[in-house]
Amino acid sequence: MTDIDCNICQKWLHGYLDNELDTVIATLVTEHMASYAGCRRRYEEMKTLKADTKENAPYHNAPADLVQNIFANLKASVQPELSLWEKLRKGFVPAFSTTALAVAILLYMAPPSNDGWVDEVVSEHTRSLMAAHLTDVASSDKHTVKPWFTGKLDFSPPVYDFAAQGYTLLGGRLDYLQHQTTAGLSYQHGKHIINAFIMPAAESDSEPQKLSRRGYNIISWQQNHMRYILISDLNMGELTTLSQLLQKEV
Amino acid sequence: MSNKSEVKRFEELFGLHMNAAYNLAHWLTGNESAANDVVQESALKAFRFLDRFAGGNARAWLLTIVRNESYTWLKLASGSRWLAIGDEISEDNPDFSHNETPEANVIRSQDKALLQQALEALPPAFKEVIILKELEDLSYKEIALVADMPLGTVMSRLARARAMLKTELVKLYKYD
Repeated sequence: MTDIDCNICQKWLHGYLDNELDTVIATLVTEHMASYAGCRRRYEEMKTLKADTKENAPYHNAPADLVQNIFANLKASVQPELSLWEKLRKGFVPAFSTTALAVAILLYMAPPSNDGWVDEVVSEHTRSLMAAHLTDVASSDKHTVKPWFTGKLDFSPPVYDFAAQGYTLLGGRLDYLQHQTTAGLSYQHGKHIINAFIMPAAESDSEPQKLSRRGYNIISWQQNHMRYILISDLNMGELTTLSQLLQKEV
Repeated sequence: MSNKSEVKRFEELFGLHMNAAYNLAHWLTGNESAANDVVQESALKAFRFLDRFAGGNARAWLLTIVRNESYTWLKLASGSRWLAIGDEISEDNPDFSHNETPEANVIRSQDKALLQQALEALPPAFKEVIILKELEDLSYKEIALVADMPLGTVMSRLARARAMLKTELVKLYKYD
């Protein structure tokens, strides 16, 4: 049988150590080490190092609350909207009288209009500009902004800075839209401020919807179970650019 | 479409591997809050792409995502410095030094703090194979999958990684 040289052995002894060599090659290594003390010593050294690493390198266990949060968030993200019947059954809609019930059903069945959230978004946007409350955490560093949301939201909003493309991240803040806590991110483009609202959504992905209201342009879409709403006095073209940058990242 | 049973499937597949995920993320990023972020992102991605998991090794599949997310974090946190070190690795030229000092043979890395320090000093491309092999006890085949390298490269990468770890320990031993 052909012998192997010390250089080959120095590499193969690791496979030998990890039980990854087939028997033919393992035999070659055994035989080689029987006659070369240097390789034998190297093998012993590596064997010790391996044992010590296994025994003494700290193992970082996941914090219990992290794991709980992850599973809770996933569950929350797929929670289906209750049907009216389920709401009634579970007592979400108090059935005081048939009249009240009829009214409740009528209200419930009224076609959902866009206007609710659009007006809310416009109000939030103007409020953020007026009250000098653009950001709770002012930073263009996503690694400052993103962890800031941890513990304040039950989801982890994607935070990206697009300064290179002309959309500088100014910071983040907490908002409340459509009865749920929402991540608010502000970007600056030239002299314009853009607010991005991000919240979990049960609905499937949807193409961007563009509209204008009270002098503001708004783009809204659903992607990966998150709803994104961009609003600004920026023109629709440049706002679309930011929406495309975001869509590519998330 | 995601629904409740998908969450259940996700929990069954990956619930047991969250420690492995966190351990790798912690070693690669070197800090707790980054490891938290990385594991959250990874779990979300794993869930989103659950339909792409064709069965097989759930732990290796999750660790592959965690590794990618950790590298993304490293790249953003410190420029491309770390990744460059990994990219420059030449597998053809393993640095097996024969110039062993007498101390090298008596060094035992039984001091936990010392071992941790030495391991942390290794570039990610070498640190990860040691973590995956010694702490997670993955096979070479699984390491090739997780660390995205040809199966034939795993042994030489481990050989270099262990040699480097030894060198770090010798350094620390001398300076201590």
